[in-house]
Amino acid sequence: MRNLLNFLAKYNNLIIFLILEGIALYLISNGNNYHNTRIVKGIRGITRGMEEKISNTRTYFHLREINQELAAENASLKSTIEKFNNKEDLLFFSVSDTAYHQKYTFCSARIIDNSVNKQKNFFTIDKGEKDGLAVDMAVSSTNGVAGVIVGCSRNFSVAMSLLNLDFRVSARIKSNGYFGSLGWDGRDYKYAILNEIPQHVPVSIGDTIETTGFSTLFPEGIMIGTVSNFKNPGGDFYMIEVLLNTDFKRLHYVNVIGNLRKAEQLELEEPFQ
Amino acid sequence: MINSILRYSLIFILLILLQVLFFNNIEFNGYINPWIYIMFILLLPCEISSWLLLIIAFFTGFVVDIFCGSPGMHAAATVLAGFVRPYVMRLISPRDGYEPGSDPSMVVYGFKWYLIYTSIIILIHHTALFYLEVFRFADFFRTLFRVIISSLFSISFILLLEYARKGK
Repeated sequence: MRNLLNFLAKYNNLIIFLILEGIALYLISNGNNYHNTRIVKGIRGITRGMEEKISNTRTYFHLREINQELAAENASLKSTIEKFNNKEDLLFFSVSDTAYHQKYTFCSARIIDNSVNKQKNFFTIDKGEKDGLAVDMAVSSTNGVAGVIVGCSRNFSVAMSLLNLDFRVSARIKSNGYFGSLGWDGRDYKYAILNEIPQHVPVSIGDTIETTGFSTLFPEGIMIGTVSNFKNPGGDFYMIEVLLNTDFKRLHYVNVIGNLRKAEQLELEEPFQ
Repeated sequence: MINSILRYSLIFILLILLQVLFFNNIEFNGYINPWIYIMFILLLPCEISSWLLLIIAFFTGFVVDIFCGSPGMHAAATVLAGFVRPYVMRLISPRDGYEPGSDPSMVVYGFKWYLIYTSIIILIHHTALFYLEVFRFADFFRTLFRVIISSLFSISFILLLEYARKGK
């Protein structure tokens, strides 16, 4: 007993050190995982009020650019409406189906916390379950893909950014339709990597990369970026570097996209996978 | 006693606010994020007992973790920094030892001593922090590059803050 006490007295600092490091490592393994984002979200609730204030200040400084983006988007939407108005056939469709072929719902939201300098980046938006948001909905900016929602509370949601090592989205080359898997390699917030494009496919710098719609998350044809470089690392596939169209450093407003038929599609696909 | 607890609490709150409100929003170049809150571990008195230092270090890291949404990462790195601090101080102790009741500050022990002291602890802290964040040894040298660049920025800012603190 005396020996044990002596031992403890001699190495008490080392023991406290090991205990505290143990707690810290437990927190790391538990909290930084994709599936356990809920814990992060719970802790973030405490600091959210302050983050919202910071974000409000930041948004104020960017009002001019945001206005320009909104004006541009308004213009493109107006032109779309104009197209529909000119089609006279559309005046005679049946209205018994309230959703009327609608597959996706859109909801705009403001980002109140964002980062680009970590390996696993998340951002927080100011809409939550109250506004009909749910886990696994897609998030896009006006320019392209931004992320996927991984946690919702009543008024807020946390989304995994495209700039996250765990993020994967099915993407294709617009000009020829060959698809692969796109992810971030943790290097530069401006670039992502597109894999699984076979070597016989013609690729050229400047080609547009867009979503495929295979994943039930993103609708088909949302722009991701353009090919900025590609190389042949050996093996059967190209490694294509994609210049992202979304500038994550000045991302303020996003659209959240819900798929109304996701449950149906997943239910049908489940027995075959 | 009460007076000094109050003083250190005030410094703690100031450093955390500075870190969270200002330095976390700088993002030079997407890579560099100075972590200056570690200065709190650096400026605690020379004669503080090691177990208290460890617990304060854990608490400091934990508070920063809460603000950064990264549970455990800063706590682990800061506890490591707190653990090595007594050894670093013994390693680089001045010829006639540390004066009783003094702070490890630039005014008392000189610029060169303070620079070495700060650099060693910050390099250890940043290495632990960045490798824990990446959590793999692929891209070893890129992470090392980030460690060095971020450390340079942190050290510069901490030296500036130390000047400002002692200027008063």
